[in-house]
Amino acid sequence: MRCGDYKENYIKDEEIFQSRFVKFWLALFFIFLIVFPFIANAYMLYIANMIGFAVIGAIGLNLLTGFTGQISLGHAAFIGVGAYTSAILITKYGVSFWLSIPLAGLVSALAGLVIGIPSLRVKGLYLCIATLAAQFIFGFVFVHWESMTKGITGIHIPPPRIGSLQFVTEKDFYWITIVFVVLGVGYARNLVRSKMGRAFVAIRDRDLAAEIMGINLFRYKLTAFAISSFYAGVSGALWVSFLKVVIPEHFPFMLCIQYLAMVIVGGLGSVIGSIFGAVFMTLVPELLNVLSDMVKSYAPGMGKLIIPFKQVVFGFLIVSFLIFEPRGLAEIWNRIKKFFTLWPFSY
Amino acid sequence: MKKLGLFILSFILCLGPFSIAMAQKSPTICAVHPFTGRFAFAGIEGSAAMQDVVDMANEGGGVNGKKIQYYWADGEYKDDVGIAAFKRLYAQYNPQIMFGQSTGMTKALGPEIKSRYKVLYSAYTMTSEAANPKENPYLFIAAPTYTEQFGVLLKYIAKEKPGANIAFFYSDTEFGREPIVAGREICKKMGLNLVAEEVSQVGGVDITTQVLDMKGKKVDYCIFQGFVSNPIAAVIKQSKDYGLNAKFMGTFWSTELQLLRELGPLADEYTGVTAYSFYFQEDVPMVKKIREWTQKKYPKVEYRSQSYMENYMTTLLFVECFKRADKMAGGITGDNLTKALQSIKNFDVGGLMPPVSIKSNSIPVGRVYRGNSKTVRFDPISDWIRME
Repeated sequence: MRCGDYKENYIKDEEIFQSRFVKFWLALFFIFLIVFPFIANAYMLYIANMIGFAVIGAIGLNLLTGFTGQISLGHAAFIGVGAYTSAILITKYGVSFWLSIPLAGLVSALAGLVIGIPSLRVKGLYLCIATLAAQFIFGFVFVHWESMTKGITGIHIPPPRIGSLQFVTEKDFYWITIVFVVLGVGYARNLVRSKMGRAFVAIRDRDLAAEIMGINLFRYKLTAFAISSFYAGVSGALWVSFLKVVIPEHFPFMLCIQYLAMVIVGGLGSVIGSIFGAVFMTLVPELLNVLSDMVKSYAPGMGKLIIPFKQVVFGFLIVSFLIFEPRGLAEIWNRIKKFFTLWPFSY
Repeated sequence: MKKLGLFILSFILCLGPFSIAMAQKSPTICAVHPFTGRFAFAGIEGSAAMQDVVDMANEGGGVNGKKIQYYWADGEYKDDVGIAAFKRLYAQYNPQIMFGQSTGMTKALGPEIKSRYKVLYSAYTMTSEAANPKENPYLFIAAPTYTEQFGVLLKYIAKEKPGANIAFFYSDTEFGREPIVAGREICKKMGLNLVAEEVSQVGGVDITTQVLDMKGKKVDYCIFQGFVSNPIAAVIKQSKDYGLNAKFMGTFWSTELQLLRELGPLADEYTGVTAYSFYFQEDVPMVKKIREWTQKKYPKVEYRSQSYMENYMTTLLFVECFKRADKMAGGITGDNLTKALQSIKNFDVGGLMPPVSIKSNSIPVGRVYRGNSKTVRFDPISDWIRME
């Protein structure tokens, strides 16, 4: 009987799926993901898609902030760059949706490289302000570069297609989202156990020590910015193709805060934490909406009191997580896993 | 583990009702109101108006004997939350009419409403995109568009002072920029000189540069767009300090008593355009009816805003469309509701607006009101002005 975490070599220690238990539940989860669109209605599929976009974006930010320790307040801008790149390529230049997604990621990565340059000289709060500039610069560009972005009117985007097959509904788009989420999670999970991933963590823990060990800070910090922005760009491109429209008001400053909250609540420096954070920040407000609707339908007079209260509850939940589990949902997940791994000798 | 179990149980309980999309045959309206967030001042009033019209209609026999069902949800004035609420309400109640919370939500859902949902749709928006029956016959607004409101003000100015110097003062947002391009064209057509365009952020910002620029360009009339209150009050106050003798005007969302309160003794300097009668115009039959209903149902409520009037008017049209569509072959469907909407001509709304005729899925009519610092109310200074 397994009753501990016993490994005999480093290869075993670095395996992604470390036990049959993990493989079994992951297989079950994939089966659920495949069955889900056939049992869910349009609303639930809409939420599933939104969670998917949030997962991709949150992983991107976690690679930069959680793994490399570079705080960024420009994530919404990079999502916007990807969204507009994809929309412009599809509508203005007739590029296929499938090609526009990686190109959107690349253009966002380029933007991330430029905005990331100050990261070599400034850290912490100063870097925050430097990246915040991206938010304002790109926000201005989205509104005023009217010949490309169509300004406040925005760009209507046709649904993706393969031949005569169009991806119009939430269910159709769900399959696209799932593929990109799996690719994004898979790449990030592999990246963090590679040389580059370890360099990111070394920079986060102590950049001077990392440099002494031979890690090129400039190269790795910029790479982290580029990869993070690539994820953001892909997330933005998918999101607006799903919405079928992009307008400048889709990328407010609050979106940056929302993504930061995702990675903090989920767990900094954890890929699965990004997933948990994205699910929490997208699903919990919806659950509270559903609950408040239920209360409203049973007690119609209470609606006006209950609805504003849900935001208080959501805020309270976030604060509670930070107080009682500062390492995020990922740590709670680890404890649950350990409980089962060590059961029945969990003392 | 108990906590986790409870969470999963509550999740399943919450999603349960959505797996059954109930087919509703009764006339149903679903609305997404910005009940929280920065547009809540409109959402709270708007949701009350919809509930009131539905209750009044149901008390009066409903739609040819069928009671109207009305359900709503909070969209927080965020596009993603609003769209989710739209889809949740649609999946749950299968309505024939839906109401949205913003321009952004309307733009995002417009293509799907046309191709998939096929419901009659209106929203807290006055964008021209929601009033284009050729592009989307299901969208309409029960008001003049922002461009049409600019047209009403410019028509009034052209009559009062031909060849006047005009300034547009707008916020750098979608709301602010919406009527500017069309406004320039209307100025040209009416022989008015558009001498300045000032752009500012929303809120308490420094507007000295803009005021001095307008003074240098000898502006006679300054029209605000894209603000609800600030910085309008600041511009008017500073203009007096710097000796700029212009008249100040605004569109629907800024023509509200809150701004007059902020202006205090300078309230007489502000003129606005709105599409509806005010709650204090007691001689208007529909306003009288609203006041009686409010006093009966909500005795503590002393005032109903223009947001209330807008949604009241919209819901009146929803109910009328239901009644007309119900008599058509096929009954109440989205397509029949759009036909019913187009058939509305000279529809009497008891003076809330002049008799309503839908034209290009909007109602291009407005009235100019001036602030009164003594009564802290708006007094009408024009008759209803129609735009062609």
